[in-house]
Amino acid sequence: MPEFLYIHIPFCIKKCIYCDFLSFPYDESLARKYIDALCMELILKKDSAKALKTIYIGGGTPSVLPEENLIQLFRCLRDNFKFFPIEITVEANPGTISESNIITLLYLGVNRISIGVQSFNDDELKTLGRIHTSEEAAKSISIIKEAGIRNFSIDLIYGIPGQTLETWEETLSKAISLSPTHISSYELTPEKGTPLYGMIKSKNIQMPDEGLVIDMYNYAIDYLVSNGYEHYEISNFALPGFRCIHNLNYWDWGEYIGAGAGAHSFIRGYRSRNTDDISRYIEDLNKNIIPEIESVEIKCEDAIKEFIFLGLRKTEGISIMKTEELGLNIPDACKELIDEGYVKVSDNYLSLTRKGLVISNTIIVRLFEKLRL
Amino acid sequence: MSKNIRNFSIIAHIDHGKSTLADRLLEYTGALSEREMMEQVLDSMDLERERGITIKAHSVRLNYKSDDGNDYILNLIDTPGHVDFSYEVSRSLASCEGALLVVDASQGVEAQTLANAYLAVEHNLEIIPVINKIDLPAADPAKTKDQIEDAIGIDCTEAILASAKEGIGTKEILEAIVKKIPSPKGGDEKPLKALLFDSWFDNYQGVIVLVRVFDGKVMPGKKIKLMAAGNVFEVSQVGTFTPKMQQTDELASGEVGYIIAGIKSVHDTKIGDTITDADIPAAEPCPGYKDIKPMVFCGFYPTIPHQYENLRDALNKLRLNDSSFSYEPETSLALGFGFRCGFLGLLHMEIIQERLEREFDLSLLSTAPTVVYRVTNAKGEVSHIENPALLSEKYEMIEEPFVIVTILVPKDYIGPILDLCQEKRGTQRSFTFIGKDRIKIEYELPLNEILWDFYDRLKSLSKGYASMDYDFLGYRESDLVKLNILLNGEIVDALSLIVHKDKAYYKGRQLTEKLREIIPRQMYEVVIQAAIGSKVIARESVRALRKDVLAKCYGGDITRKRKLLEKQKEGKKRMKQVGRVELPQEAFLAVLKVK
Repeated sequence: MPEFLYIHIPFCIKKCIYCDFLSFPYDESLARKYIDALCMELILKKDSAKALKTIYIGGGTPSVLPEENLIQLFRCLRDNFKFFPIEITVEANPGTISESNIITLLYLGVNRISIGVQSFNDDELKTLGRIHTSEEAAKSISIIKEAGIRNFSIDLIYGIPGQTLETWEETLSKAISLSPTHISSYELTPEKGTPLYGMIKSKNIQMPDEGLVIDMYNYAIDYLVSNGYEHYEISNFALPGFRCIHNLNYWDWGEYIGAGAGAHSFIRGYRSRNTDDISRYIEDLNKNIIPEIESVEIKCEDAIKEFIFLGLRKTEGISIMKTEELGLNIPDACKELIDEGYVKVSDNYLSLTRKGLVISNTIIVRLFEKLRL
Repeated sequence: MSKNIRNFSIIAHIDHGKSTLADRLLEYTGALSEREMMEQVLDSMDLERERGITIKAHSVRLNYKSDDGNDYILNLIDTPGHVDFSYEVSRSLASCEGALLVVDASQGVEAQTLANAYLAVEHNLEIIPVINKIDLPAADPAKTKDQIEDAIGIDCTEAILASAKEGIGTKEILEAIVKKIPSPKGGDEKPLKALLFDSWFDNYQGVIVLVRVFDGKVMPGKKIKLMAAGNVFEVSQVGTFTPKMQQTDELASGEVGYIIAGIKSVHDTKIGDTITDADIPAAEPCPGYKDIKPMVFCGFYPTIPHQYENLRDALNKLRLNDSSFSYEPETSLALGFGFRCGFLGLLHMEIIQERLEREFDLSLLSTAPTVVYRVTNAKGEVSHIENPALLSEKYEMIEEPFVIVTILVPKDYIGPILDLCQEKRGTQRSFTFIGKDRIKIEYELPLNEILWDFYDRLKSLSKGYASMDYDFLGYRESDLVKLNILLNGEIVDALSLIVHKDKAYYKGRQLTEKLREIIPRQMYEVVIQAAIGSKVIARESVRALRKDVLAKCYGGDITRKRKLLEKQKEGKKRMKQVGRVELPQEAFLAVLKVK
């Protein structure tokens, strides 16, 4: 039974141009109805979880919620789930962070905040459609630190139109000067259906050169590692002991429960998801129905594929012993890839090299082929 | 008896309603009850029905009681409707005394109508013009009649107005067949002389041949000889198609029917051959026999190497039924083991490829089609090159096949079509008006030039109104060179082509550019070069893949991300590995996309 719970809060003050997560403009009365429905879903799902190791409240922007909504949500969690506060993360965005809501979160038991800073360059923030400046971001972080939360993560984005290697270096340097325990550094990816995607198609905006983006990626790894952060997943870095336990569970092919509109679950070999339609989500739950719209069993071969491609996101890689149990002959299949320097084997773990990481899709597809998956 | 027989064909352009008319005739004469009637009975292969064209000739015997009170046997000999099969059409027509010339009243005369009508005139057939589709709003029977009179010189005063779809004019057509088409001449007492106009392989009965008996009789037990092939067989069964196969005692002079004689392979039964009595042979065979040879060649390679055996078996099976198609094993450095296959034309090639993929579930890679070049070396020895890769660097002379192309087009579109013919190295032979607004032009063109995109461009330049037909002229010397394509310095034999010297630079540049677009980025840089001999004339490169990574992957999108990888893998599976480079199928046909 899953020990990991994800809760989705699909509200933002304003949607950013690159975002393809489920999110709607924040509306007080809609949010109230939504939290009621969410609590109902949690009650309906309370028996499918063991004692929870982690809770991750993501969005959207969970920090837009008024205190009473947050209190209601956590009361519902306390009443229906057993959990030990190993890791309770809430995502927050500058512009929605105040002393009082941070203190509320702290009081509710939240012990980790993930802050969507994205950049410390105001032009880049504007390009991305963020509602805050770099100064406001820094201010939000100092609020968090002053409230006594030491365990916080900063999200950054590179490959922004107009961004240079210099501004990226400045962003990274500013970020570590604030001493976060964790940094996620994502390449800006134009997803279909986002305004960014349309702007690129209509040539209103130009993505930076691929070579520059690779340089940014490599710079981030070198810089963060030299400053004591461990590069533990393609896009994630942490000080020793501060890896995100909740997210590691995804890459370890672990089970999890998702609650909220558009949330996904993985329980007993089935991947399922809730409706994206927020009014249907609320209506269904008002009738005590879980608004699940899809449930697919992950069968043998797909499971192996997932295990491999998720596991290889981690720099430690996958355990060869584990693959042997699955009936795979990894050393044989990887011979060429090892010779070419794309993957390596050490301490009985198979992992991607730096050269392999940047083209990991190609490498994984080749590996699937070799393994006849 | 033979005075009550009428042997006829239907000639028409594609889509002018030949098959529908055949259905109506079958229905009207009760050859099939309505319940048995399937749409377009004569086109039995799925592929034929889907494409709306007739590939193999068939014959059907219809019983018809005429208004004059007599019973008649009408033998409808179907003809293939495409230019690739013009020889087969000519043999079918040679088996008849008359033909229905079906012209769509809304479209008018087309190039193929002309080509086949001329063939019918050449064979001295009585031609009955039928103006079809008169029910369509756009139908213009008067104009269509004018065009027929103008272009073919047939009197259209008694042309029959019909709509095969609506069943209008069916009876008039049957009466005209009886009254206008002469009965067969010839004598039962003369030595057997029968024209073989179709044959196919049946799993249970062996080869079945379709014949028109001109003189004499054929019955079970008779020893027959194929005059051109020289083989002797003993007849085991004769009969007719009604359209069901129906055994009869004999086939007498004037009749059309089938013969089964323990023949094992269709290669022994060449279309146009004459069947005679092995003991008392006819003095002369039927005129017009030609040993037809494939004109267009391409390589077929399995995309999955272990399908090679299956491909060979499939080709063998298809050849059982199609003597005009050939294949030979071939090895390509780039593609491994495959077959070089020869076809009558492009459509024929497409049909075979489609049947291989559909009926035999094979995944094939085909190289660009090529014509056969005639090459003479310094010693004066002549060889035929069916694969551009095999052309040696040194030779005395190279010749390529030329065809005469007939194009019919409304006058408004003539300008760009003349330009097209010019661009394709054509020489104009004639330019005539047909009626007030249509023009017939004839051009001599290298066959190679019309293989590539000629027909498509003709169609698009004329908004679909132009039609064309071609006939083989012969080999002519040309200033041709071999253009090699190199990937990372290695010649990819399957991409070599033979082009006219004046076009080589342009083609080389175009082709390398096209390949740059088609070849996906890979883990290494791919350098694409075009070269004549050792001289590189164009260079492009596909940059190495540097970044291919999913930035984010969390609980929400795991299924989506897995599908993304699977899609990528599927794409890769359809690629052919050539050295270290992965090439998609389109790369081998890129040459077709170059103007």
